[in-house]
Amino acid sequence: MVYTGKNAAAAEAPEEPRIGVFICHCGTNIAGSIDVPAVRDYAATIPHVVVAQNYAYMCSTPGQNMIKDAIAEHHLTGVVVAACTPRLHEPTFRTATANGGLNPFRFEMANIRDQGSWVHMHDWDGGTAKAKDAIRIAVAKATKLEDLYPMSVPVEHRALVVGAGIGGIQASMDLAAAGIETYLIEKQPTIGGRMSQLDKTFPTLDCSQCILSPKMAEAGRTPGIKLYTLAEIENVEGYIGNFDVTIRRHARGVLTPNEAAAKGIIGGGCTGCGDCSNVCPVVKPNEWEFNMAPRKAIYICHAQVVPLIYTIDFDACVKCGLCITACGTKKAIDLEMQDELFTIKVGTVILATGYEAFPIEQKKEWGYKLYDNVITSLEFERLICASGPTIGHLVRPSDGETPQSVGFVLCAGSRDNTGIGKPYCSRFCCMYSLKHAHQVIEKIPGCRAYIFYMDIRSFGKAYEEFYYRVQNEGAKFIRGRVAQIQELPNKNLIVVAEDTLLGNQVQIEVDLVVLAAAIQPTAETEIVRRQFGVSCSGDKWLLEAHPKLNPCGTTTAGVYLAGVCQGPKDIPDTVAQAEGAASAASIPIHSGHVELEPYYAQCMQNLCAGCGMCTRLCPYSALSMTVVDGRTVMEVTAAKCKGCGTCGGFCPGGAIKMQHFTSPQILAQIDAFFLGGEQ
Amino acid sequence: MTDEWKPKILGIICNWCSYAGADGAGSARTQYPPDVRIVRVMCTGRIDTLFVLKAFADGADGVLVSGCHFGDCHYLAGNFKAAKRMFLVKSILNNMGIEHRRFRMTFVSASEGAKWATVITDVINTIKEIGPSPIAEERKRRGL
Amino acid sequence: MSHDIHKYAFFLGCIAPNRYPGIEAAAIRTGKKLDIELVPLKGASCCPAPGAFGSIDLNVWYAMAARNLILAEQMNMDIALICNGCYKSIWEVNHKLKHNDELRDSVNEVLKEVDMEYKGTSNVYHLAELYYNDEVCGLNKLRDSVTTPLSGVKVACHYGCHLLKPAKDREFAGGAIGDSEHPMWFEELVDALGAEAVEYRNKMQCCGAGGGVRGYDIAHSLDITNEKLTNMTAAGADAIADTCPFCQLQFDRGQFEIGQKFGVEWHVPVLHYCEMLGLAQGMSPVELGLDLHQTSCKPFLDKLKGGQ
Repeated sequence: MVYTGKNAAAAEAPEEPRIGVFICHCGTNIAGSIDVPAVRDYAATIPHVVVAQNYAYMCSTPGQNMIKDAIAEHHLTGVVVAACTPRLHEPTFRTATANGGLNPFRFEMANIRDQGSWVHMHDWDGGTAKAKDAIRIAVAKATKLEDLYPMSVPVEHRALVVGAGIGGIQASMDLAAAGIETYLIEKQPTIGGRMSQLDKTFPTLDCSQCILSPKMAEAGRTPGIKLYTLAEIENVEGYIGNFDVTIRRHARGVLTPNEAAAKGIIGGGCTGCGDCSNVCPVVKPNEWEFNMAPRKAIYICHAQVVPLIYTIDFDACVKCGLCITACGTKKAIDLEMQDELFTIKVGTVILATGYEAFPIEQKKEWGYKLYDNVITSLEFERLICASGPTIGHLVRPSDGETPQSVGFVLCAGSRDNTGIGKPYCSRFCCMYSLKHAHQVIEKIPGCRAYIFYMDIRSFGKAYEEFYYRVQNEGAKFIRGRVAQIQELPNKNLIVVAEDTLLGNQVQIEVDLVVLAAAIQPTAETEIVRRQFGVSCSGDKWLLEAHPKLNPCGTTTAGVYLAGVCQGPKDIPDTVAQAEGAASAASIPIHSGHVELEPYYAQCMQNLCAGCGMCTRLCPYSALSMTVVDGRTVMEVTAAKCKGCGTCGGFCPGGAIKMQHFTSPQILAQIDAFFLGGEQ
Repeated sequence: MTDEWKPKILGIICNWCSYAGADGAGSARTQYPPDVRIVRVMCTGRIDTLFVLKAFADGADGVLVSGCHFGDCHYLAGNFKAAKRMFLVKSILNNMGIEHRRFRMTFVSASEGAKWATVITDVINTIKEIGPSPIAEERKRRGL
Repeated sequence: MSHDIHKYAFFLGCIAPNRYPGIEAAAIRTGKKLDIELVPLKGASCCPAPGAFGSIDLNVWYAMAARNLILAEQMNMDIALICNGCYKSIWEVNHKLKHNDELRDSVNEVLKEVDMEYKGTSNVYHLAELYYNDEVCGLNKLRDSVTTPLSGVKVACHYGCHLLKPAKDREFAGGAIGDSEHPMWFEELVDALGAEAVEYRNKMQCCGAGGGVRGYDIAHSLDITNEKLTNMTAAGADAIADTCPFCQLQFDRGQFEIGQKFGVEWHVPVLHYCEMLGLAQGMSPVELGLDLHQTSCKPFLDKLKGGQ
């Protein structure tokens, strides 16, 4: 940037404002619905405007050069560009303004596209009038803009990844490989997430655990990754570069070797031998196996957990102490262990909180949880998996028999606008259902597979080929929604559906029905989202900063998204986004500092009466009371202030100046709208 | 050109939710009438009651304040604090003899472009139903 | 549990008084033990039938239903009724008029001719819904009112369509029993009388009568009924319980018609829930007009006696 100088608390004596207005056609995006020449001619008549120009694409290099040249030629004190939204191109035009020798905060934008031409496409006069007003309002603000200087803050050389599914694991490994110490937090006792519950992956049919567990093991032993399982975020403070995150580690009841060593137990701590579990008298259903297998009160979810440390389910434990005896000299078990809170400081954060299945029992017509032989796809994954509760023998729950016909109901709760279900496509159900059909045909000779589908969305690399393969293997595809599933006395099921290709209703008797249930964000996603101030879209998936050009970022600087928490995606897409998020999260850390927009509050202490109301309104404890020359007044810790302006909106004395959104600036905008204008 | 009266309505909206939602309506080309002009602030918490009152004193036919949904504020609770303040605005307007329905606070998130269009349409219809601001009429009469 | 008397304007409909007078008798008599007083809705017309009228001229449907509603409004009472078809007409028109100012104005414009105005002050309930509602009656009170439990019989419950569907337009008992895909509250009501309600395949299927099917295509209509009877008897049902006289007519008369048309013999007694409640409270079969049913109720009554 060309400008020099340091931030002055008070502006220099205001010179007569000289404003340049630049109106963008955005091709026909703006010029097609708004009379740009008329707007330009009008803009030239607005008080303080010394030059008004229009151009096809203001964001292009020639457009930016127009700004630069006009600043020099007309000695501008402020620049207004009427174009798209400041959320898109404010940084572009600020740079152009700075390149012209003005302070970049002397720039103001009038949004005449996103909130103008695009929403008044068929109202030429109305849209043009609105654009004129928008420019007048922007000019009014530009006349009152002051030089501001971004604050540069150092960035902590550490990162946090929330959620240790495949997305979180990949992001952590990338960050660690880039030399950044990374905290990986997982709520479950083991890392691995949903992918570790899957049997095979489409379309390659490689075993999910086989490709995942090396990564899990590596994540567990990489020195740069500080792994905390059975842990959740308790509290978040701070901002990009300096997040203070408090972690709650739930009491595991079992010490790791390191923890044991720290307590002076030589050679102690859990080795994962399982002697404790063998003697434990309490049997509970294993949630990780969707309650289809038992576990003890001291348990591991499955054989390949990372870390290989047993966990006590304190809700089930009767504290009989048999495990302590079995553990012997390792002394790994502490039945009185308490939750532990600790705070870490990180520069950037990646959220990878994943998904859970929509409670498909809400769709009563399909009878999940009413009929024994209606199961979900995730349950199917466990039942067909060699490490699952049936050692890979697919059986139907009612009688343990091998099914000779299986119906797969796709879009179960997805693409559903009835109010019960999700309007979006869950995106990977088509492909895994094809895989499931392939598996039953392959594993059970003669077994028939019926796929009830709306559309088969085989969009990825080698996906369509896999679809053909499953067709050739003999799976029956019935295009239409399933209206109802009925249970017969022998626990067989009748799938009642429409076949839209034949124009018929069909009723097909099957032994087992697998519902490809819709997915939704995990319950924790909503909590974590609010802790980090990240927005969500209407369907509750976390909102990316821009759907196309910034898919990993969020509106909270320094917080990035990886995997399904941002929207349904399969494993390749999740890994790709995780790598993108890791790259994005490493940039501020490697540059060592970030510039914060100087939108912080300042106290004009000569006006402050010392009432102190503002200190209680501030959500960030950025304001405090101090004594200056015998008077109690407020003072701002600029680094803590995030610039919401809640203090300034309240201050009864008008003593708080919100930089770049000052009261004189906003009042000038209001006056310009109502009192200015064409009469 | 018709001589149909066009209301002058000010919208003061927050950067993170409602402004983004309004941009979203643009991306989706959701059409709505053009009678509302926007002033952007970072958070509705920034909005001094005086801003709203100044707008009415200047002759505003209506004022809309729009922010994030409760619990979604980018600054934790600025919208909540603003909402409390806006109740005060309503009661002041009533005392001033200005129909309180001329002022409204709404909550539109970044993903609710369609809702933004509905809100704007509804605000404009309400103001058209109430008619021109008495202050604007008086200003016109006095030639201000 | 309160002992306040709950008073309702009693809307009879057409089929119950003309074909199954026992339902009316039972509803009124059993109500006495349940603190539900049913006051005749004088001057009431046909609901009017949702299929017949609603399919042809909605304005007539709205206006006639509104007129029935106004009669209840004039009595300052909510309406209780015993028929799913009446429920669809009167509940749904009430709901529409309460939420749609334009429609209400246009209906009132019509009703002006008879000096009537719909105000929207009354609610509409199916009697079965009131039996289930703890604030009015509830299962315990129902159970306590039983003097001769219907033990030893298996009953297939038929909910009927118009009571619960379209689901998104229903606010059945405040959503507490609003599930239209797999509800269980009717079974609970039947169990409360000492009978055993049985689950059967495709229980939410139509009886075959409604929506004009019976009038338009009797063979198709009976085909549906036949499928229902097959599913019910496969589950061992001794009798059918319903909440709708039109469904009752279809099952009751339909068995005879199926015999005539398809040569398939059925002998499954069909009783409205009110009739079952009457039996359980000690009313005699004659008092309940069970001898007027086309399909004999005798096997059911015999089994009851055998069980006792």
